[in-house]
Amino acid sequence: MADTTEQSSQEALESRSPEPISPPPTEKKKIDLLLKAAGDAPIMKKKKWAVEPSKKIGWVTEFIRKYIKCDPSDSLFLYVNQAFSPAPDQEIGTLFDCYGSDGKLILHYCKSQAWG
Amino acid sequence: MADDREILRDIWEGRIPIAFSLSPDEATGMEQPEPYYMLVPRQSYLTLVTDKVQKHFKKYTDDDNTGEVWFEYEGQPIRWHIPVGVIFDLYSHKVTLPWNITIHFQQFPEEELIRCRSKDVIEAHFMSSVKEADCLKHRSQVINGMQKKDHKQLWMGLQNDKFDQFWAINRRLMEHTADEPFKFIPFRICQVDKPCQHSLFRPVTDEGEPVTLGDLLKNAGVAEKLDYKVRIQGIEPPLDTPMQWLSEHLSHPDNFLYISIICDT
Repeated sequence: MADTTEQSSQEALESRSPEPISPPPTEKKKIDLLLKAAGDAPIMKKKKWAVEPSKKIGWVTEFIRKYIKCDPSDSLFLYVNQAFSPAPDQEIGTLFDCYGSDGKLILHYCKSQAWG
Repeated sequence: MADDREILRDIWEGRIPIAFSLSPDEATGMEQPEPYYMLVPRQSYLTLVTDKVQKHFKKYTDDDNTGEVWFEYEGQPIRWHIPVGVIFDLYSHKVTLPWNITIHFQQFPEEELIRCRSKDVIEAHFMSSVKEADCLKHRSQVINGMQKKDHKQLWMGLQNDKFDQFWAINRRLMEHTADEPFKFIPFRICQVDKPCQHSLFRPVTDEGEPVTLGDLLKNAGVAEKLDYKVRIQGIEPPLDTPMQWLSEHLSHPDNFLYISIICDT
């Protein structure tokens, strides 16, 4: 996997200014997701998706499964920062606030445990 | 490294008395089985520590109809993937001990709960949380510098309730120097009926002043609610407690500081 992705998200994490975190926004500005294949997972033709911030990781997982026609018996793992798998009930908006970079949240998907 | 080590052991040894009862709809046979009483570790996960409970009640259910176990309190499914103590604290203002939990084997609430088909799922979830926490604290440097067997030791320490085994490795994840606290504090704000909330939060200001629990709650928009109580590991810490200290001493084994907010509605 290219290293640049990981570096840029780490840099973004570090460059966050310590301004007060505002309360959850009432407007539903969609989050830009970039879905990247890892391991031998098939590459999605369309990788960029705009998703409502209240959508959960579980929903994204199911979405990818359908898109890549994943067999029900196959696993699908999602990773943030090529480091950890968020729990299925975590909201995309929250993950973007913490781990987004360049205005998008990059998620890697894999059929086997790549970084787990 | 945590200076107040005795606290770490006290936290580890926290227990909650729980009375498990089988859902009346699921009991076959003439009698409703007796409740099963257990002291459950605050730091652990319900699906990890209830093998005996499940075995006990399965005897009274219809074999053909027995699916994945799940737990419920007053009609609300309990999120197993959050440590037991955190969930208890959310209800602690209205629970008289023992905490009465209903166990189910049928009609798993797919929309509300995450599946937990094996211990591997719990381990994967736990380790992911540890990794996320270190991503926030140390840019993942400490966790990535460990060997696979060290990661395994964290899990085994939790699973087997072995404080020393766990902390032999965890001490490295809790390390900081006087000059450099954690980059960001791994925390989760939990409330009933809501997904856990977390955000980026530095433990010091630009001027190097320690940031407190009160500051965090204000920034997270919690302080705006009028009547609310804060519980961390079953206690109500003073709002001027530094976040760095809370993170080092009152975090759960997954290295996240869980803050339960109880709103009096």
